[in-house]
Amino acid sequence: MDMLENEKTPIKVMLVDDEQGLTTLTKLNLERDGEFIVAVENDPLKAVDRARVLQPDIIVLDMVMPGMDGGDVAARVRNTPELANVKLIILTALVSQAEAPDGTVPIAVGGDRCRALAKPVKIELLRQTILEELNLV
Amino acid sequence: MFSYCRGMGNIEQTDSSSGSADQKSGVLDGSRARRILDSLPLAVFGKDAANEFRFVLWNRKQEEITGISQEEALGKTDFDLFPQEDAEAFRKADEAVIADGEAFEIPEEKIDSPTQGVIWLRTLKTALEARTGKCRWLLGICEDITAQKLAAGELERTSEALQATQLQLIQAEKMESIGRLAAGVAHEVKNPLSLMSMGLDYLKEGIKPDDPNLPVLLGEMSDALERADKIVRGLLDFSSDRGLDLAESDLASLVERGLHLVRYELKKSCVVDIDVEEDLPLVIADQGKFEQVLVNVLTNAVHAVEACDEVEAAHRLELRMEKAVVDFEMADEDILGHRRLRIGDPAVLLRLRDTGSGLPEGNADKVFDPFFTTKDTGQGTGLGLSVVRKIISLHGGHISLRARGDGLRGAEVRIFLRTAVNRCG
Repeated sequence: MDMLENEKTPIKVMLVDDEQGLTTLTKLNLERDGEFIVAVENDPLKAVDRARVLQPDIIVLDMVMPGMDGGDVAARVRNTPELANVKLIILTALVSQAEAPDGTVPIAVGGDRCRALAKPVKIELLRQTILEELNLV
Repeated sequence: MFSYCRGMGNIEQTDSSSGSADQKSGVLDGSRARRILDSLPLAVFGKDAANEFRFVLWNRKQEEITGISQEEALGKTDFDLFPQEDAEAFRKADEAVIADGEAFEIPEEKIDSPTQGVIWLRTLKTALEARTGKCRWLLGICEDITAQKLAAGELERTSEALQATQLQLIQAEKMESIGRLAAGVAHEVKNPLSLMSMGLDYLKEGIKPDDPNLPVLLGEMSDALERADKIVRGLLDFSSDRGLDLAESDLASLVERGLHLVRYELKKSCVVDIDVEEDLPLVIADQGKFEQVLVNVLTNAVHAVEACDEVEAAHRLELRMEKAVVDFEMADEDILGHRRLRIGDPAVLLRLRDTGSGLPEGNADKVFDPFFTTKDTGQGTGLGLSVVRKIISLHGGHISLRARGDGLRGAEVRIFLRTAVNRCG
């Protein structure tokens, strides 16, 4: 994907969090300027299958969710061949920036580490982090 | 005591120096009677109703209690020896006894004895017939019951102290629970805060009055504020230190409050099913203390679930609230036993079943013992269930823990609570 294409095509973000109000407002913020297009999934058990269909550029997911936590979702994404290139950001109330000093948390499988942001997160920081992960800054 | 004295017959004032012609015949004479009276641990006095109720009998114990010698007392009236107010009361009672011929008992009265300080007496006054057949003599007998009164007072103070200690222990365990809940509450509060932060970020960029997203935005922010407030208030209410305050309560609401406090712990581990029987009666419960029970048993269920290896399985927590009739004898001892449930009493039963690791092998009967724990060092003092049992006991209810009983692995907690209809026990 070259830089020119990115300027024209919104970045596909998949947001996985059981808190519906939060996903609604995060989507509103991200989509406001047309830079991103956001799909929301409030049920973590459906996240991986949905991601296979949507093929997002990046998945932003919460850590603590009923049925399956963000670490497990992230590990499954990593283990799904067609999602191998999808970037991940953990957005969680569980980890404060102090607890993730290098901005990463380990995800469940193989000691792989994942970028993390502590809730509440400013929309500008989230936007910036998404662009960084996609090497667009 | 009193029947012995009633059998004494007539008492006549006698001169201590006079002998009695009946001495040899074995009939109880004056001097011998006096010696017997003086040896009694009871105060005995007699008054002549035909002579202004002047004292005609005054034994040694009466001397000890009143500080007035026999020489001083004999021939005098109550008005000569005691304060006016007391003498009037004594006279009134004496006149009633003589008039009715009926014995009069004062079960306990507080006396300020000049020799023994404050003492408690049990007094019986009775009329004795003279040889003429008319009631002339008034006999009074007093028993010093100070020791029994002090012992009863001590027992009451001990009971109060015991309950105070129990409440302190309950509060101490609650503080431990709050430590565990804190992480969950922080998470739960951060979510609504995140939502509001997102909302403010949107508003800061400037909005048009007809922005179609505005109603949704403001609605979500308002709900989030309420949720955060509820979470914080829930924790504050839970942590406040109150005495026992039993009131008629809706069990389903109490359970919901408890679930709310541990929502974070539950969310990580299990799905919760709740079933409430229709027309469930109100229960007698202390809201705060019962929340503490729920936090404890729910947290234990979550830990049991987390201890399982099958992380893929969807763990379930089933909560059932139903009417029940107590069908077993409650073995728990309780100083407030008069408020406990008994066999045949209607009750409300709360059942909590998990799909966790089940009861500890070989130690199932110890789970309610203080400091018994199956957790690793540093993960819990083991006070939880012992305090839970204490709280349920203060509610006059009963708690038990057993295997699920339906072939699946896991445990079931059963809590019987008194209903509002049988609060008088």
